[in-house]
Amino acid sequence: MGMTITEKIMARNSGRDHVVPGELVWTDVHTVMTMDYLGKTCFDKFRSLGKTEVFNKDRVICVSDHLVPPPNQKFATMLNEWREVVKQHDITNFYDLGRQGIAHQIMVEQGHVLPGTISIGTDSHANTYGAVGAVGNAIGVTDAAVAMATGKAWFRIPKTVKFHVTGKWQPWVMAKDLSLHIMGMMHWNGHLLYKSIEFTGPAIESLSMAGRMTLCNMTVDLGAKNGIIAPDAITQRYLKDRAIGDWDMIASDADAEYDQVYTIDISDLGPTVAMPGKLDDTVPVEKLIGTKFNKAFVGTCTNGRLEDIATIAKILKGKQVHRDVNMILVPASQTVYLQALREGHIETLIEAGVAVDTPSCAACAGIHTGVAGDGDIVLSAGNRNMTGRMGSKKAEIYLTSPSVVAASALTGVITDPRTLSI
Amino acid sequence: MIKGKCWVADDYVMAYDIIIQEYWTSAIDPAENSKWVMAGVKEEFNKENAFKDAGFTFIVAAHNFAGGGKSIEHVITGLMGAGVQAVFATSFARLQFRNAINYGLPFVTCDDIDKGCETGDELEYNPETGIITNISKGASFQSVPAAPFVAEVGSAGGLMNYVREKIAKGEPIE
Repeated sequence: MGMTITEKIMARNSGRDHVVPGELVWTDVHTVMTMDYLGKTCFDKFRSLGKTEVFNKDRVICVSDHLVPPPNQKFATMLNEWREVVKQHDITNFYDLGRQGIAHQIMVEQGHVLPGTISIGTDSHANTYGAVGAVGNAIGVTDAAVAMATGKAWFRIPKTVKFHVTGKWQPWVMAKDLSLHIMGMMHWNGHLLYKSIEFTGPAIESLSMAGRMTLCNMTVDLGAKNGIIAPDAITQRYLKDRAIGDWDMIASDADAEYDQVYTIDISDLGPTVAMPGKLDDTVPVEKLIGTKFNKAFVGTCTNGRLEDIATIAKILKGKQVHRDVNMILVPASQTVYLQALREGHIETLIEAGVAVDTPSCAACAGIHTGVAGDGDIVLSAGNRNMTGRMGSKKAEIYLTSPSVVAASALTGVITDPRTLSI
Repeated sequence: MIKGKCWVADDYVMAYDIIIQEYWTSAIDPAENSKWVMAGVKEEFNKENAFKDAGFTFIVAAHNFAGGGKSIEHVITGLMGAGVQAVFATSFARLQFRNAINYGLPFVTCDDIDKGCETGDELEYNPETGIITNISKGASFQSVPAAPFVAEVGSAGGLMNYVREKIAKGEPIE
């Protein structure tokens, strides 16, 4: 019996020829990522294991993303302690304020994640790394501390569920719409608890790396262990000047065993929106046309990439954000920000009346930069919409794609981007 | 054998309701995290030490306990600090299931347990056999026994101790 790509990665990194779902293995990890608000605890715990040097100081990746730039003294002090501990351990790759980005974006964009390997991070959206054909897994600070000390992590081999996606993407429909559609289909933390999710098919092969990252990113919200797309020519091109280390084109065997296989024809899928409160309460945008909102947000590890920014710039070019809407863009990293600036998108967006803030997790974590207040109705291209997620419990969050956010920002009500004359 | 009273939760008790947003950036510490544990789950627990003072040894839940996609360990240390010694549910969210294993707090999967208990019932749990007895109702349930690795980590008092011992002895981790 053959193996799925996730099983193969688990096998090769645990020194086995073969693994089966349910088996428990210790694997090598390629990189361990931690961030500002949990990082100091990781290092403290790591030292408590009796070690002083991390397993490989090039492979412990430290990022400041949740707390930067510090909005208050508490965070400023936490960041100072964090910087001190990173320095003390002589970590090579430290993406601090000025070189920052959202950790998951940094991990992929800076080449710290390689096809066929396992990378872990102390934030739930570490599933993003599957976009390049790696197993990306979210873990707690205990696992991070153990991996920093040993270069290893324990895993139970998950069963794999395949989503085979065919057809042609409609204009303005994005990977986010597919994520939300699958969320509606399988339920938020529902039928895919603990599963590995593999995306295949022509509509996936035609997706850019940005779209693949969005798709894998939100598999954690399906309750899955990881989401993965086998590397191909697009991956190769993307990694050419970024990848640190060697890698090969790993793929599932033709006779691999899947727990379930679902086929989706993307030609039928239009822009999709998740209603406030629950991620799986999704509806086609047509059902919400005319719904008023007052805040628009594009950013996060789900939708803060260059392609997302280019999409909203295309929609907003030469136009104005509606006077009743405050729109904020937070690019996912400094690199993304600079590219967007060089390509003219930032200028376009500022002219259209969009506020652009420095890369961070921003209001997605509800702790700073455009948090929601009482009575706010937010149209967000982020990843979570539960009550209180972006701040006030008296705010409502609709989740959707960047193209729906931008189209709606023009009119002040939820709008189908396919109806715009662009 | 662990014995004590249980609190019965609903479906979808979310990690970010067990530890609410303002405490995500607190230190990971059972005494600290248990003060406001469950604050977002029920209004009655939204008071300092309210859940802890209620003195529950077990939590009984249904689908996807501690879900919603937060990997913070405050959830587990908060429950442990409040005196919780095991959680029984029909299913668990994987991030916190993993954290619970790493802390040696039994997260025990058991079909139908949610239908067989009421808050305040006296339960008894045998970690060796996986049998959960509801003494108040005179019923018993067979749970999924812990995998050998999980039991080993549990008896070491958590993954940190388990790995620390291996490192100290120079034993390989495999």
